[in-house]
Amino acid sequence: MNNKNTTHFGYEEVAVEDKANRVAGVFHSVADKYDLMNDLMSGGVHRLWKRVTIELSAVRAGHKVLDIAGGTGDLAYKFSKLVGKDGQVILSDINSSMLNVGRDRLIDRGVNQNVNYVQLDAQHIPFDNNSFDCVTIAFGLRNVTDKDLALRSILRVLKPGGRLLVLEFSKPQNKLLEKVYDEYSFRLLPAMGKLITNDADSYRYLAESIRMHPDQNTLRGMMDEAGFIDTEYHNMTGGIVALHKGIKPYIEP
Amino acid sequence: MSSHDAADSSANDSSVKNDSASNTDLTYIQALTTAIETAVNVALKYDPASRQKIAALQDILAVKITVPSLCFYIQGQEEGIRVFSYCESPVSTHLTGSPIALLSLLKQPSNLNNSGVSLTGSTLLLQQWQEILQTVDIDWEDAISQVLGDIVGPLSASGLRQSATYAKAQLQEQGRLLAEYLPEELKITPSKPEAEAFFQQIDQLKLQVDRLSARIQALQSQINTSPETNNDDSSKETS
Repeated sequence: MNNKNTTHFGYEEVAVEDKANRVAGVFHSVADKYDLMNDLMSGGVHRLWKRVTIELSAVRAGHKVLDIAGGTGDLAYKFSKLVGKDGQVILSDINSSMLNVGRDRLIDRGVNQNVNYVQLDAQHIPFDNNSFDCVTIAFGLRNVTDKDLALRSILRVLKPGGRLLVLEFSKPQNKLLEKVYDEYSFRLLPAMGKLITNDADSYRYLAESIRMHPDQNTLRGMMDEAGFIDTEYHNMTGGIVALHKGIKPYIEP
Repeated sequence: MSSHDAADSSANDSSVKNDSASNTDLTYIQALTTAIETAVNVALKYDPASRQKIAALQDILAVKITVPSLCFYIQGQEEGIRVFSYCESPVSTHLTGSPIALLSLLKQPSNLNNSGVSLTGSTLLLQQWQEILQTVDIDWEDAISQVLGDIVGPLSASGLRQSATYAKAQLQEQGRLLAEYLPEELKITPSKPEAEAFFQQIDQLKLQVDRLSARIQALQSQINTSPETNNDDSSKETS
């Protein structure tokens, strides 16, 4: 980013105030077929990545969980089972279309007791300090305009000892895999987007935004900088996706 | 520090970490646990009674396979079982052994001795799992009907059941015929009465040897405790 008033939208440089609207446009466009596309694009592997996220969250009965950019509610559904009737899950997304899809899906699956729905911006989370035992953001952080601000906001709402889990596309750890992945992302992915949702541009943005997202160590450094401790990451599927974890210290630095 | 080193350093004392996770891509481990969980839960859909009993098992059972090195955790949940590879909650029972030894434990539930499986923690949880597994009764007919429909399904299930009954009967019959053919026609094994008579003779011989041995021992102790022997001993001590 060369100018303080601009930011990335994929490979494009856009005004900071425009990015949120542009991202919203992408997700309004793909919301209806988001699940189908996820399954097609990842061959269903995104479900395994999400299961790892659930396991490493160590969420248990009575916990309060915030799922940011929760999309169609895959994580929130599992969390609602784990926290039980004494716990609470907040499924949130900045995009109303995605949140509606997620809410409808959870209601259809019989989840209606311990899940609440909030449309929120990860940079300015409208909850009190020290509210949550766990915050997750899966495939959402790269779309946030100011990631540092979002990380600080998440730290604020986490309880001391609470943990953040960031599941996000990252940098493949193998050169050959990286080449194959590039070909797939920039050629096949937009074509699939065109075929399924009649929207190649949104999926081109998806591929570009992944490349512009900080790599494993950079994101870990950002989490350290924001004030998280014991930060770590787990590469999955050769580093195509990484799961970052950070803990809120008992005494804030 | 690698990512996994970081994971280890953040573990608290009560946490249980997956050893295998440190070397293997978590996606592969997750694929395995998901496959096991899905297969079992699909089967349990057709045995609601067992599923209900399993759902009540909230304590965690850790299963550590030695070759290949892999550890996973099992817990009951509403849909059946939950299989996971990372656990920070307290584990009630740890089972360690080879895949074959662990599977054979299911067949011989009462015997852990020489089974090749080591257990630490509560035995109660293992017993509860074993009791449920012994009584699992999957309604395969219903499962097949769900796939093939209400007419073809029961017919196919009936055909499969008849085939299984016939195969079982044939297996028993062939065993009986073989047991007759070997001693009567080929004469390479003794007949059952001959074998029984032989075993009886062995038992009798064993009893006789035991009696003789006991008699020798009694005589021996009698010689050792006789007064003459004692006198000899005391005279030696005096001189």
